[in-house]
Amino acid sequence: MNGIKILLITGVAFIAVYFFIRLRNSLFDILLLLTLIGAAIIFILFPETTNNLAHKLGVGRGADLVFYTSILIFWFVILKLYARIRKLEQTITLLVRKNAIEEAENSAHE
Amino acid sequence: MLPPPNDNTFIILPAYNEKKEVLEQTLSSLINQLYHIVVVDDGSSGKIILPGNSRVYLLRHRVNLGQGAALQTGIRYALQKGASYIITFDSDGQHNPGDLPALLAPLQKEEVDITLGSRFIKKGSHNASAGRRILLKAGRVVNYIFTGLYLSDAHNGLRAMTRSAAEKIMITENRMAHATEILLLIKRSKLKFKEVPVTVLYTDYSKKKGQSVFNSIRIFFDLILHKLFQ
Repeated sequence: MNGIKILLITGVAFIAVYFFIRLRNSLFDILLLLTLIGAAIIFILFPETTNNLAHKLGVGRGADLVFYTSILIFWFVILKLYARIRKLEQTITLLVRKNAIEEAENSAHE
Repeated sequence: MLPPPNDNTFIILPAYNEKKEVLEQTLSSLINQLYHIVVVDDGSSGKIILPGNSRVYLLRHRVNLGQGAALQTGIRYALQKGASYIITFDSDGQHNPGDLPALLAPLQKEEVDITLGSRFIKKGSHNASAGRRILLKAGRVVNYIFTGLYLSDAHNGLRAMTRSAAEKIMITENRMAHATEILLLIKRSKLKFKEVPVTVLYTDYSKKKGQSVFNSIRIFFDLILHKLFQ
């Protein structure tokens, strides 16, 4: 095992521990996380597997395949985050609106 | 005694960091016509103080949300106050109070549910620069793509609607994309509408407060998100 493998596996392990502490209540999340961590460790330990997979899919190098799929995943994550931000914005808007209407003033009474 | 003719009409004035004199000037030109006026302060940094008048209401957003949100707050409030007709009006002095009777007439005659001000149809007038005209033309095309309605004026803040139309217009786009969202809501609720010629006067002040090219890109982006997540 060389340096980079140890470094990456330690990183994955830290992220895994962090997520386990946060998301321990949902079975689906745990299964998803376990699969992802499993895949990450296998790919780190045996980089040739990504190469084989890449060749089957018509991509030159395994690293490239990982790069392309990451872009797709990040895109999806950004969209999900945007959706959540918009929802949050709407919640805040409703609160601010309610407050504004409740505290409406007639300027004659000031 | 009969109530004054404009007693059932509420004008929504969204205001964000408006200059005191400009806001007061806009207000006084409207108060004279006996309209009810709902000023929605969209989280301005300074406190807005309005001239004392029983027909003027002041609502405050605790934080800045955008013009779309301010309009929706004003519309909610006007409905709560029993408005029969609701007008949206810019507070930066661009619009002419003299256009209001023409906007209201088709509603009062029950011809349509909502009237939209246009500076580009016959008898409408404006002093927009060439650059702004191009921007507004692009806006018309964008509106057409998103809503299927091809109007002569894309982003005119002067509109009038009946109570029942206002109940169907629920603006969720907090920022400037609300102008297109209103068209979407008109289409979806099958409201009858009509464009009415109005005057838009750009002053140095309103140009500074108005939309830039950069903002139009943001509006476009907001619209795409609106379509994606509606």
